[in-house]
Amino acid sequence: MTERDRRDFLINLGMGAGAVALTAQAAASLRSLIPNVSYDAPTTVKLGDPGEFPEGLKFLPDQRLFVFREGRTFHAISAVCTHLGCTVRAEALSNPETNNVGGAPLRLTHQFLCPCHGSKYAGDGGNVAGPAPKPLAWYFLTAAPDDGQLVVDLAQPVDHNFRLTLA
Amino acid sequence: MGIAPEIEHQHEPLQSAPGVHRRRFWSLRPQSDRESGDAVSSNFLLHWFPAKSYKPSLDWSYSFWLGTASAALLLLLVVSGLPLLFLYIPSVERAYASVKDIEYVVTFGSWIRSVHRLSAHLMVAVVFLHMLRVFLTGAYKNGSGRGQKRQWNWVIGVGLFLATLFLSFTGYLLPWDQLAYWAITVGTNIASSIPIVGAKVRELLLGGRTIEQPTLIRFYVLHVIVLPAAAGAMFMVHMWRVRKDGGLAKADRAAALPAKRETAPAPTKTYTLLGVARGTQPWVRATSIETPELTVNSVPDLLRRAAIVVLGTIALVSVLSVFIGSPLEEPANPLVTPNPAKAPWYFLWLQEIVTDTTIRIGSLTINGAFIGGVVLPGLLIGMLTIWPWLDRSPVDAAGIWFARSRRTQNLLFLLVVLGVLLLTFVGLFMRGPYWHLYWPWQRWPQLPTRI
Repeated sequence: MTERDRRDFLINLGMGAGAVALTAQAAASLRSLIPNVSYDAPTTVKLGDPGEFPEGLKFLPDQRLFVFREGRTFHAISAVCTHLGCTVRAEALSNPETNNVGGAPLRLTHQFLCPCHGSKYAGDGGNVAGPAPKPLAWYFLTAAPDDGQLVVDLAQPVDHNFRLTLA
Repeated sequence: MGIAPEIEHQHEPLQSAPGVHRRRFWSLRPQSDRESGDAVSSNFLLHWFPAKSYKPSLDWSYSFWLGTASAALLLLLVVSGLPLLFLYIPSVERAYASVKDIEYVVTFGSWIRSVHRLSAHLMVAVVFLHMLRVFLTGAYKNGSGRGQKRQWNWVIGVGLFLATLFLSFTGYLLPWDQLAYWAITVGTNIASSIPIVGAKVRELLLGGRTIEQPTLIRFYVLHVIVLPAAAGAMFMVHMWRVRKDGGLAKADRAAALPAKRETAPAPTKTYTLLGVARGTQPWVRATSIETPELTVNSVPDLLRRAAIVVLGTIALVSVLSVFIGSPLEEPANPLVTPNPAKAPWYFLWLQEIVTDTTIRIGSLTINGAFIGGVVLPGLLIGMLTIWPWLDRSPVDAAGIWFARSRRTQNLLFLLVVLGVLLLTFVGLFMRGPYWHLYWPWQRWPQLPTRI
C-alpha cells in the first residue's frame, strides 16, 4: 500500500463518515415530524335519547353525520364528501319516495350536495353526479346498554342494509 | 527591471485603481467609464450588475422587466412580513383574533396586511407572466456564450414559481378563517388521494389525523422560514446564473449575429465575460457586445431602469393597499363548509380540474382528487421542467419573441395557458352554490348560509 492510497482511503473514509452522519441527522430531524400519537376525537359517540330524534333527518355537525329516523328504525349516513372531505348539505326532496336499499325498503327524503366541487348523492348516500368516487359511508348505530342513548361508531362503516330497530 | 518605467509613467496615485476611491461615495452620474465601473465594483447592492450592458436587452418591450418586478414584490413581501411576524400568533385559539387585531386595532396594521396580501397576489401573476415571457422568447435556450446553462436556470425558475404558489397557499391558511380551514381540508385530502402513501403524507402535513394546532404550526413554519429560505436561495442562484449565462438571451443573440471579428487586444480595453481569452494566442474574439454603439454603462442605464421598476412596483402596491383591503372570512368552523367554497383565483383552475377528472371505467373509479390534483399538475410541472431538453429549435431562436422555428411549441404553450385561464374564469365567475354552473349575469338562488 502506497502513501497515496492510504491518503485517498482516509479522505474517502472521512467524507463518507460525514455524509452518513449528515444523512442520519437529517433523517432523525424528519422522523421527529412524523407524529407517533394522534389525539383524535373518540370514534364511539353517544348521540342522545332516540326518542328525541325527529322523524326524518337530523344533522349532527360535531360528528358530521346525518341520523335518519323512520318510526323506531334508525340509520346513519356520513356527511363527509368522499371526493375531498367537505361537509355535504342535505336538501329535502319535494316528492320523497320509498326505494329498496340494501334489500329493505327505505324512505328517501333528501339528497346531498357538496359545496366544494358539486358532488351529488341520492338519499341512500349513493353518488349520482359530480366528482365523488364512491357513496357516502353508512355507520354502525346501537343503543347504549346503560342509558339507552343512540350510539354511533364512526370507525365502523356498515352495508346499506343496516337498520337499527329499537323495541 | 522592465516594468519600472511603466510605473513611473502612471501619474495618478494608486487610489484611483478600480474600486479604490478617493471619493467617499460612488456616483449615480458617472462622468467617465471608470467612474461608472467603480459604482458596480464598490457598491454591494450593485455588485451583481455587469459593468456594461447590452443596450437592446434593457428594452422595456423585450422583457417587460417582469423578473425585476417579481424580485421587487419578493422584497416587499419580506419587508411587510416582518411587522406581521411580530403581531401574528400561530395558535388555533388566537390566530384569527390576532389577524383581526392587525386589521382593526394595530395602527397601519390593515395597510401592512394589504401590502403583504396584494404583493403575494401580484407576485403569483408577475412570476407567471415572467415565465410566459421566458418561454415565448425561448430565453431558456443557450446562445453563443461559453459555459451557458440556461436550461438549469429555467428549472430553478420553475422551482421559484412553485415556491411562490406554496408560499401563497401557506399564507392564506394562517388567519385560520373558513377559507383557511377548508383549503387545508381539500389540500391535504388531495395529498391523501395518492395511492399507498397518501394517508401517511396527509398525516405528515397535518401533524396528526385531524386539522388542529400541529397543522397550523406546520404551515406557519413553512410559510415564515422553510419556503422563504428556499425561495431566497433559489433567487440568489437564479440571479447568479443570469450573469454566468451572459445576461438575457437577447444579448448573446446579438453577439451571435454579426460576423465575428478577430482583433488584437488593445492595452486599454476592458473585456466582458464573453471576451475572456483562452488558449495560447494573444487573440481575443471580440463580439458585438463590446461595440460601443450597442453597449451602455450599467450605471446609470441599467440601474435607472431597475430603479424605475422596483420603486414603481413599491409605489403601486403601497397606493393600491390604501384602497384595497384584505378580506377576513368567518372564523374557521369545522362544522360548516361555506357554499360555494372557492379557492383563491390562482388555484381555481385546479379546483375545476379536480371537479371534472373523476374517471369511471366499468366498476373502477379513480378519484378526480388524484387525477386532477396530483397527476395532471405533476405532468404539467414535469413537462415545464424538462421543456428545454425537448426544444430542438436552432440556436438563433433564443432571445426573440415568437421565433418562427418555435411556432408550434409557442402555440402549444399558449393553448395550455388559455385553458388554464378559461378554467380560472369558469371557477371565478360561473360557479355558484353547490358548485353549480351559472352564467356570470345570472343571480344565485338564495340558500341558507348555515344549517
